[in-house]
Amino acid sequence: MISVKNIYKNFKDVSVLRGVSCNINNGERVVIIGPSGSGKSTLLRCMNLLEEPTYGEVWLDGKLVTPPDPYLHSDVIKTSKTYDRLANENPNASPEEIVKKIKDEDLLGKREGKAYKAALKKIDDENGIDINLARQKMGMVFQHFNLFNNLTVMENLMLAPVQLKLKTKEEAEAKATELLHRIGLYDKKDEYPSRLSGGQKQRIAIIRALAMDPDAILFDEPTSALDPEMVGEVLDLIRQLANEGMTMVIVTHEMGFAKEVGTRIIFVDEGHIKEEAPPAEFFANPKDERLKEFLSKVL
Amino acid sequence: MNAWQLFYRQFFELEGYRNVLIGLKNTAVIAVIGLMIGMVIGCLLATTKIVPKKNKLIGFLSGATSVYVSIFRGTPMVVQLLLIHFVLLPALGIHIPLLMEAVLAFGLNSGAYVSEIMRGGILSVDGGQTEAGRALGLTYGKTMIKVVLPQAIKNVVPTLGNEFIALLKETSVVSFITIVDLTKSFQNIANSTYEYIVPYVVLALIYLVLVLIVTSIIKLIERRLRASDKR
Ligand SMILES: Nc1ncnc2c1ncn2[C@@H]1O[C@H](COP(=O)(O)OP(=O)(O)O)[C@@H](O)[C@H]1O
Ligand SMILES: [Mg+2]
Repeated sequence: MISVKNIYKNFKDVSVLRGVSCNINNGERVVIIGPSGSGKSTLLRCMNLLEEPTYGEVWLDGKLVTPPDPYLHSDVIKTSKTYDRLANENPNASPEEIVKKIKDEDLLGKREGKAYKAALKKIDDENGIDINLARQKMGMVFQHFNLFNNLTVMENLMLAPVQLKLKTKEEAEAKATELLHRIGLYDKKDEYPSRLSGGQKQRIAIIRALAMDPDAILFDEPTSALDPEMVGEVLDLIRQLANEGMTMVIVTHEMGFAKEVGTRIIFVDEGHIKEEAPPAEFFANPKDERLKEFLSKVL
Repeated sequence: MNAWQLFYRQFFELEGYRNVLIGLKNTAVIAVIGLMIGMVIGCLLATTKIVPKKNKLIGFLSGATSVYVSIFRGTPMVVQLLLIHFVLLPALGIHIPLLMEAVLAFGLNSGAYVSEIMRGGILSVDGGQTEAGRALGLTYGKTMIKVVLPQAIKNVVPTLGNEFIALLKETSVVSFITIVDLTKSFQNIANSTYEYIVPYVVLALIYLVLVLIVTSIIKLIERRLRASDKR
C-alpha cells in the first residue's frame, strides 16, 4: 500500500537518504532499525511528506503522494530539452544510453521545455493525490508525542476528524470515548497533556492517530522518550493493534519487540537499506557486515 | 492659598477636571485602539515572516515587512506622528479627525513591535505541534489557527502587556499635534495656576494607577490562559 521509489534526501549538502526503495504491503508490520543518524526518521517522514524527498516518489494505494520525479519516468526524460541536445550531439547513441547518462549525471535542469512540463503534469494529474488526503490515511506517532498542548485529551482526539469533516462532533466524541475506554484513560478526557505521564501521552497520541481510522500508522521511536517503567504499556498497545492487523511501519531500538511484532525487518545504514528479511532470518542470519556489528552492540 | 488649595480650586471649582476627563479618554482611546490596530497589523506582518517560503510573493511581502519594521522601530514615535500629521496625510489629501490621526500613527507604530512579538511567540511553539497537525491531514492554516496561534498568543501575553503599557505612556506625545491627552490636561492646569508640584505629582500618580490596573488585568488574562499548564 505504501511504495517508496528510489528516494534521496539531502539537507543542504548532507545526503541523508541515498536511493531507498521499499514496499509496505497491506497488513505488514515493517520494523526499521539502524544506528542513530542513519536516516530512519527521515525515511519515515518522507513517507507522509513531513520531509519532501529531494528525488524519488512515494505512492499510497496506487496514488502519487510526492510530485512526480522525472528521473523515474524515461518517457518524460525523452521530452526534455537536455535529451534533445544530447541526442543531437551524439547521433550514434541509443535513446536508452542518453536517458541513462541523464539519470546518472543528474542533468535535468529547471527549464526543460513545454513538452517536458506537460508530461510531468500529466503524470501528476492522472495519479496525484492531495497530500492532506494521503496523510489522513497514514497516521503518525512521534517520539515526543506532540499532543496539542492547548487542547484537552478529548479535544486532541476530536480536532482532526471534526475539522476535516470526516465525522460529526457526536461521532468523533463517541469514537474518542470508545478509544479512551479501551486504553483505560477515559477519566483523563478533560485533562491537558501537561498533566499526563509520558506513557499516557504516547498512548493518547496513538489513539489520536486511530481516531482518524487510518489504513496504516507510522511510528517513529514511540518509546525512546519514555521512562523505562512506561515502555511496556505503550508496546502493549502497539502489540494489540498489530494483532488486529493494522499495517504499520515502526522505527525502534527495542529489538525484542521488533522480533516479536515485525513481519519484516529493515536495516537502514548510511542512507541505504542494507538488509531486509523476516525477523527470524534477519536476527539469526544477518549477512551485511555493518548489521552484524550493529546487532552485536544492541542485542 | 497654598498649593493644594490652588489645585483644588482649579480642578473642581473651575472645572479643570472636565479637561482631565477628556484627556484621560483620549489617552485611553489612542492606547487601546492603537494596540488593537497594532495587533491586526502585527499578526499580518508576522504571517509573512513565518509561512514556509514557497513563492516570490511571500518573499516580497517578507522583505516589505522587514522594511516596515525597521522604519517604525528606527525612528521616534513623535517623529512618526509629526510626519503623518504634517507630511503624509496632507500629501495624500486625507482629512480625518485629529484623534483618528493619533490612533492611526500609534496603530502603525505598534504593528511593527507586535509583529516582532508575534513572530517570536509563534517560533517559540514547538515545531512538533505543527508536524502533528499536518501529519493528521490538517492544512497549514488550520494547524496554525487551532494549535499554534493559541499557544503563541499565550506565550506573548506578558510581552504584549508591556507593549500596551509602553504605548499608554507614550501617548503623551500627541500634544505635539494639539490633542489634549492626560498629560496635556494637567499641563494646562499647571500653567493656569503657576503651581507645578501638585498637578504633576497627581498626574504621575494617575499614570501609575493606570499602569497598575493594566498590569493586574494582564496577570488575570495570563492566569486564565495558563489553565492548560497546570501541573
Ligand atoms: N531538518 C534537518 N536538517 C538538517 N539535517 C537533518 C535534518 N533532519 C535530519 N537531519 C540529519 O539527517 C541525519 C539522519 O537523521 P534521522 O533521519 O533523524 O536519523 P535517525 O532517525 O536514523 O536517527 C542526521 O545526521 C541528522 O542530523
Ligand atoms: Mg530518529
